[in-house]
Amino acid sequence: MEDENSVLTRRNLLRIGWVSIIASGLLSLWPLSQYLTSSEDSLQSDIITLKISPLIGNQWYHIENTRVWLKRAGQGYAAILATCTHLGCEVAYNSSQQKWFCPCHGSVYNAEGTPIAGPAPRDLARVAVKAVNDTLIVNIGKVVGMDRQIL
Amino acid sequence: MTQKRTQENFLWHIRARQVPARALSVVYTFCLGGISFLAFVVLAVTGVLLMFHYQPGYSDGYHSVLNLASVIPYGAVLRNLHYWAGQIMVITVALHMVRVVWTQSYRPPRELNWVVGVSLLVITIILDFSGYLLRGSQESGAAATVAVHILQLVPGIGVGLAAAFFGHPTALSGSTLMIYVWHCVALPSVAFYLQGYHFWRVRKDGGIKPL
Repeated sequence: MEDENSVLTRRNLLRIGWVSIIASGLLSLWPLSQYLTSSEDSLQSDIITLKISPLIGNQWYHIENTRVWLKRAGQGYAAILATCTHLGCEVAYNSSQQKWFCPCHGSVYNAEGTPIAGPAPRDLARVAVKAVNDTLIVNIGKVVGMDRQIL
Repeated sequence: MTQKRTQENFLWHIRARQVPARALSVVYTFCLGGISFLAFVVLAVTGVLLMFHYQPGYSDGYHSVLNLASVIPYGAVLRNLHYWAGQIMVITVALHMVRVVWTQSYRPPRELNWVVGVSLLVITIILDFSGYLLRGSQESGAAATVAVHILQLVPGIGVGLAAAFFGHPTALSGSTLMIYVWHCVALPSVAFYLQGYHFWRVRKDGGIKPL
């Protein structure tokens, strides 16, 4: 069957086929990783806005569907992220005990978010909050220190 | 040597040792079954990849398709590959049936494989249609509504069938979790096993020997 004079023998053609399949497979790895790691379809904004409500008093008040809790502090407002500094579980504030409790590994924080028990290594993060007219703007991407929490 | 190889390696096992010369003629089959299977493989690979970003549902379906086609890197390539492989598969499967009629390959001993093939044709069309519904556009909502009402006309079991296959699509979006599961898991699995049986019968009925 094989023509010895032909440049493209059956064996060479099949080899070109295999090499092309492997090459195109390798070439598609980068696009594939781009596709699989894309988070373009998830909500990415760090900004949460809400109307100032009389419910936000001197106790931490939870903003629904977020991990942000707010309270009045001095002349302004303070915003804290209810994410445990141990491994990231969502902590909840118990207003009668005035403590934050983590359901995962038993970390306990005091009302200001400083760990008092369990494996948590750091204070709960404070994030920037700003009052504009009757609206509060919280930027959960901007972690601020305790001294600059009230804006 | 060949005997040993066929026992050691599944790829060698499924390779034909003998093929009738006329079955190799391109104008006898036009490779329509093979092209259909190739389209099915492309659909499976691109379909699994699309599942990583697609979200079924009344409001999510359409938006996730828009996201795929616009902002997700290479999402448009995958979506178009999936779409066109689907269109091609419907056409080649239909032409494959025409070819089988033309060469009278439905006659004994191949009646059973003809029945299997017709089942695969029906599944292919349902898969194509359910994919159209999963786009979640207004047309898909209209199509789902029409299909639900037609299926409900089946006496006795129609209403139950429509609920089990379509869930509750709205007039504005045909994308439901029910259709998603049928389209992505149940029907492709059935099609895959039927195809394996279909190919095995080709050999069993003397298309390619031995087996």
